[in-house]
Amino acid sequence: MTQESTEIARGLRRRDPDLLDRLIEQYQHRLLRYLLYLTGRRELAEDLFQETWIRVLERGHQFNDKYAFSTWLFAVARNLAIDHMRRKQPASLDGLLNDDEVPFEVPATGQASAFDLTLQREQNEQIAAGMQHLPAEYREALVLRFQEGMSLEEIARVARVPLGTVKSRIYRGLSALEPWLKGAPL
Amino acid sequence: MTGPEALSGADQAWLAAHVETCVSCRAFAENARETIHALRAIPIAAERSLVATTQMRVRRRALELQRHRERLWLVSVSCIAVTLCALLSAVALWRGFEWLGARAQLASLVWQVGFLVFCVTPALVVGILLLARDTHLADHTGSYQG
Repeated sequence: MTQESTEIARGLRRRDPDLLDRLIEQYQHRLLRYLLYLTGRRELAEDLFQETWIRVLERGHQFNDKYAFSTWLFAVARNLAIDHMRRKQPASLDGLLNDDEVPFEVPATGQASAFDLTLQREQNEQIAAGMQHLPAEYREALVLRFQEGMSLEEIARVARVPLGTVKSRIYRGLSALEPWLKGAPL
Repeated sequence: MTGPEALSGADQAWLAAHVETCVSCRAFAENARETIHALRAIPIAAERSLVATTQMRVRRRALELQRHRERLWLVSVSCIAVTLCALLSAVALWRGFEWLGARAQLASLVWQVGFLVFCVTPALVVGILLLARDTHLADHTGSYQG
């Protein structure tokens, strides 16, 4: 893989806290976003965020620098989320499927005109609401593909499913989001 | 683009031509594009306090693990040292018992049994004491559990 992955692997084997600090800074938003979409709950996502980094520290020697660090990081986070759900009920991601307790919190966007801001925000809210109604597997595939920009192979590695399953989840996820984009009621 | 996402030039041309002519595929492609755009536009950010807390927890855990490793190293070194000392002292003791046996004109079997008893007694005593302690604890736990 890249020189960067090799350096990260070396630092993780040493349990270098400075490296961990840098990685936390670097991946903070991406990891939280992934966990938030996976779990659908901000509080749980934040707990898992912290646990993920502790696990990265403890199991850093298992990181294989043949792959990108982000792929391994998301796989660690995913396993923790599944462990959490198994403690609650014996299932994999199924426990996260029909959770409509708390909607996604979509923060306000940056500086723009009031109209653009409102329009963008409305669309974001629609899509965020739509995401909440998707099965967790679809949410995961969509966020890894379109927000993290991962390749299909990387997503398959994170989710430990065949490539065909990843493709079908993305297709079905996008199809299921269509009505929300067109303004399905929130 | 490489891997399973790659489309050959011919496939890409075919797909583009198909999307041009097929209404439902064109509609799907446009919707997908819009959805993806909207997905990418959702801003989700980690709060500064979450990052700081995480960094602090990771540092604390790293320190714990380092201390644990140091303790483990100390225990390992102690074990090696004790094993070496035990081996050396066993040789010296064997010679000592042999000498005593010769001085006291004892049969070989007698001083060898004496050597064995001498070596095994401390471990036996400690074992019995530990067993007694465990039994005592188990009795207490049992009585607490009713």
